[in-house]
Amino acid sequence: MQDISLHLLDIIENSVRATAKNIKVRVINDHKQNLLRIIVEDDGVGMDTGTLEMAQNPFYTSKEKRAKKVGLGIPLFKQNAELANGSFNMTSEPGFGTVLTADFELDHIDRMPLGNLKDTLLGVIIGHPDVDFQITLLFREKGREQSFHFSTAAIKEELGDIPLTYPDVIEYIDQSLQEGIQNTNMEVV
Amino acid sequence: MKTLADLKKIREKAQEEMKLRGSSVRIKIVVGMGTSGIAMGAREVMKTFLEEISNRNLTDVLVTQTGEKGLSSLEPVVDLIEEGKPKVTYGNMTPDKVRKVVVEHIVNGRIVSDYVVATGN
Repeated sequence: MQDISLHLLDIIENSVRATAKNIKVRVINDHKQNLLRIIVEDDGVGMDTGTLEMAQNPFYTSKEKRAKKVGLGIPLFKQNAELANGSFNMTSEPGFGTVLTADFELDHIDRMPLGNLKDTLLGVIIGHPDVDFQITLLFREKGREQSFHFSTAAIKEELGDIPLTYPDVIEYIDQSLQEGIQNTNMEVV
Repeated sequence: MKTLADLKKIREKAQEEMKLRGSSVRIKIVVGMGTSGIAMGAREVMKTFLEEISNRNLTDVLVTQTGEKGLSSLEPVVDLIEEGKPKVTYGNMTPDKVRKVVVEHIVNGRIVSDYVVATGN
């Protein structure tokens, strides 16, 4: 993975595979604390302590039917957070869901770029119409705080039986995310 | 600033269209979004499909994302599923190939055999 937004996409896809119906994504760009924090919280099937530990091991995958018995998504994300003097934490409860937090030191030389957050979010929102997403972007610097909230449940309610892949709807979501990302300075390199 | 009122307008417009031509989904596009797919550019493939749907105003197409299916060396992988026809799987996709598949397969109904890696189930 070349950037954090691709890791985020990978993690969100894990939540979807864990049959989550609600996924909360938070991205916090905090210059006061020199921190870039990603939090993904889902209400999927969750994991017991043993599985949770194994998920951070590259030679484990939950995909039993697959020939390829390795899962590199989580271990690589963890490694990249730790390389930027950050940390990585997952907690989970079977039957309730999973919370994953990845912290990066914002100005660390080895911190990956955030990348194209908009394309990650647009893809998961439209590609998983049965999942409700709550997205929060928060920018914080000395004396200034700017936030953006985006909830897909309200949009789906307003749309009724019009699908999210309807051309004007794609454009609507794309532009909303674009504005939010600009307003919260999430185009950080 | 986008508001829910904008959505209301979109809904009214879409409902008018549906009255005229029905609301059926003609083609379902499924983009593989497992770890190796993402590493090989599946997000850009997804994005290009969304752009093409929007630019060409394709209202009878559905796009979803799914996990890996064990075709790692052929990622990014895309399935095109049409009612009553065998599933077509395209591999090693790029934004340029997506644009070609949209024109040839989705709009004109001709399978782009050069990019096909599997058919049927």
